[in-house]
Amino acid sequence: MDVLHLVAGVDFNTLPQQLVNGLLLGAIYALIALGYTMVYGVLRLINFAHGEVYMLGAYVALFVSYFFGFRPDSVHPTQSSVMNLLIMLLASMVICSLVGITIERFAYRPMRSHSRIASLITAIGVSLLLQYGGALFLPNSPPPSISEKVNPYSGQSKDFTLAKPSPALLEQARQAEPAAAQAKAALDTYLKSHPDENLFNLSAEGKVLRTAAQDAERKEADLKRQAESGGVKLIIQTGQATMLLSTVVLMGLLTYMVLFTKAGRAMRAVAHDFDSASLMGINVNTIVTFTFILGSSLAGAAAMMTATFLGTPLTTFYGLVPGVKAFVAAVLGGIGNIPGAVLGGLLMGLAENMVVWLGYSNYRDAIAFVVLIVVLLFKPGGLMGSAKVEKV
Amino acid sequence: MKFWITRLISIAVAIGGCMLLQSLAGRMNDYQQRLIILIGLYVTLSVSLNLINGITGQFSIGHAAFYQVGAYLTGYITVNYFAKQPVHGVWWLVLMVLVGGIGAAVAGLIVGLPSLRLRGDYLAIVTLGFGEIIRIIVQNQKALGGSYGMNVAPKYQPIALVWLLAILCIAVCRNLLKTAHGLPFLAVREDEVASSAMGVNVTGVKVTAFMLGSAFAGAAGALLAHFEGFITPTTFGMDVSFIILTMVVLGGTGSITGSVIAATLLAYLPEYLRGLKDASGATLQVSGSLVVAWMIAVAIAVSLMRWVITHHHGQKLQRVGMLVGALFAGVVVRYLSGFLLDKIPALSGRLIPIDQVRMVIFAIVLIVLMLLRPQGIFAHHEFSWSWLKRLFTRQPVPQTAVSA
Repeated sequence: MDVLHLVAGVDFNTLPQQLVNGLLLGAIYALIALGYTMVYGVLRLINFAHGEVYMLGAYVALFVSYFFGFRPDSVHPTQSSVMNLLIMLLASMVICSLVGITIERFAYRPMRSHSRIASLITAIGVSLLLQYGGALFLPNSPPPSISEKVNPYSGQSKDFTLAKPSPALLEQARQAEPAAAQAKAALDTYLKSHPDENLFNLSAEGKVLRTAAQDAERKEADLKRQAESGGVKLIIQTGQATMLLSTVVLMGLLTYMVLFTKAGRAMRAVAHDFDSASLMGINVNTIVTFTFILGSSLAGAAAMMTATFLGTPLTTFYGLVPGVKAFVAAVLGGIGNIPGAVLGGLLMGLAENMVVWLGYSNYRDAIAFVVLIVVLLFKPGGLMGSAKVEKV
Repeated sequence: MKFWITRLISIAVAIGGCMLLQSLAGRMNDYQQRLIILIGLYVTLSVSLNLINGITGQFSIGHAAFYQVGAYLTGYITVNYFAKQPVHGVWWLVLMVLVGGIGAAVAGLIVGLPSLRLRGDYLAIVTLGFGEIIRIIVQNQKALGGSYGMNVAPKYQPIALVWLLAILCIAVCRNLLKTAHGLPFLAVREDEVASSAMGVNVTGVKVTAFMLGSAFAGAAGALLAHFEGFITPTTFGMDVSFIILTMVVLGGTGSITGSVIAATLLAYLPEYLRGLKDASGATLQVSGSLVVAWMIAVAIAVSLMRWVITHHHGQKLQRVGMLVGALFAGVVVRYLSGFLLDKIPALSGRLIPIDQVRMVIFAIVLIVLMLLRPQGIFAHHEFSWSWLKRLFTRQPVPQTAVSA
């Protein structure tokens, strides 16, 4: 029974659209996951508060958009430009970096000499503090969302037809068109010639005409629907495309920083061996701060983009679910491994949209945990992680 | 012989005490009765989580899931089969408590299996994940009421049962610590590899701990379902797990006494806050500037105290004096910053109902505790009569290996 249902819910014509959506979502997860993975790589700490940094980034974007005049109650909305978006992005990234540094300096650094569980509990505490403390001061009921008008591309989209509907069906639909028009015209002329009758009050002759017109119309509509559902269409909003492009650019920047700068090399050294790196003259505290700046600014960028282009309403729990999913993505790719986080993020996004595609959209939040548990049970190092299992 | 007499008398005292509590509570109002029940349930939950987290050292943060399994399983059985069977009255509730415990133990077995391979923070995340999966599955079951929740009838007022369960839970954990049966658990906590080399069945110990702990949580869930008469998936969200975790951590991971006291305090706190009224009888509201002023004060006091703890190795009395001084500085900062922040209309104009501050307090308790005393208030220590005796007579008491 379940299998039958599973097959029945599947519509292969929507698969490409879901795959593309999954990819876009996955890019965002990847961006957040990078923050988790870098911090874990350097400090061996699950930064539970990372999702909350993401949440604050979305709020920063909201406030900056208010500053530009895109309040929900504004009567004369100004025309937005790409410049506004860039400023929002930068503001989110900068403020999130500051928040990240603050959390690291005052909550995580004092815990470094204690057990890892103590650090983890601190991280949970910081996360709860930002969620519930933020709820006291940030606007959250009714949940505000960034105005669509900030996005200069709002409403714009590009359609791609991947597979044309079959020509035979299209032809049939076209042929049905004149018949329907004819029947309707006949009904109209009849109504005109009998001014005392209307559609709901007809003589026997009129009723026959009405039935004929309705039948023809329904047949035409059915044929048209059949013809259209035979084709595969892909709709990509310009905003989404911008999002993907910015994500790729940011990831490129990160790769450059980690691989080709002095700080990046130091970061990799610290991730490899914390104590030895400090013996080699690397200022470990600076590098940890640098890591938090990188990770938190990426989270801020991701938050600004989701909040602006997807228009999700903001509450202080905005970062909880994406944060958890991004963490799962990081574990899936192999925590501590930067390309792994990107791969894991993309896979998570795809997996989630596949669940939606199969008709189980209620379970889209559960899939993350299922993936997590399966990965940890069978390949605890993750897809691209080292084979050596972490011995705590 | 003496052992059995003490045992039987203890059991009789426990049952008699709970009966007495029930009859005394009968004269109180609904609010007070509810408070007594909630505290009892939270004591059970935190002591049972302490068995997993503190005594066995398996860091689990998804305890609300087992609570939920017990509540929904027994709620479903009561809704569908209560009318069709011969057992009635309080015995049905006892039966349901057993069923809830067994059901949750099975769930604990399922969660305990991955714990064989995972440790530390990975295990924490997996338990959290299991909790969420169970919640999402329940949310999507029409038979369980989905996200609207489920009505459970008949309702009970199970004060005696709640506290008997709590006492049973405490007794099981206490006896585990006092007897040779508990030593493998402590050994696994201290070092898994070494204990397995000493012949401890590490797998068995972990699974036993998970099953025992979750069985008690499930039994508590059964009582909650039949007491409240209405349960929704949000009753068992992540925040409940974190509240239970806060209790265990605050009391001191591994200390039963600590768990009991912390559970009592933290279960009472939100009800106390909700009970605060202003002059007109509505829930008390505090200004945003006051909340921020307290946060700044806590931050300053904690950083000063931390400085004293880490850098100042003077005499004990001197240290205590400096810690008190830090607290005093915090209070001064509270009034100074409060005075300044009141000038900001955005903060002073924002009124916050005081019961919303609850989770913020829990979060701050977690952070402050980790910064100042990561081992919790009681650390590994337990309440004992000899400890009380020593307090008054100042005689040295021989320490056992377990308590040390």
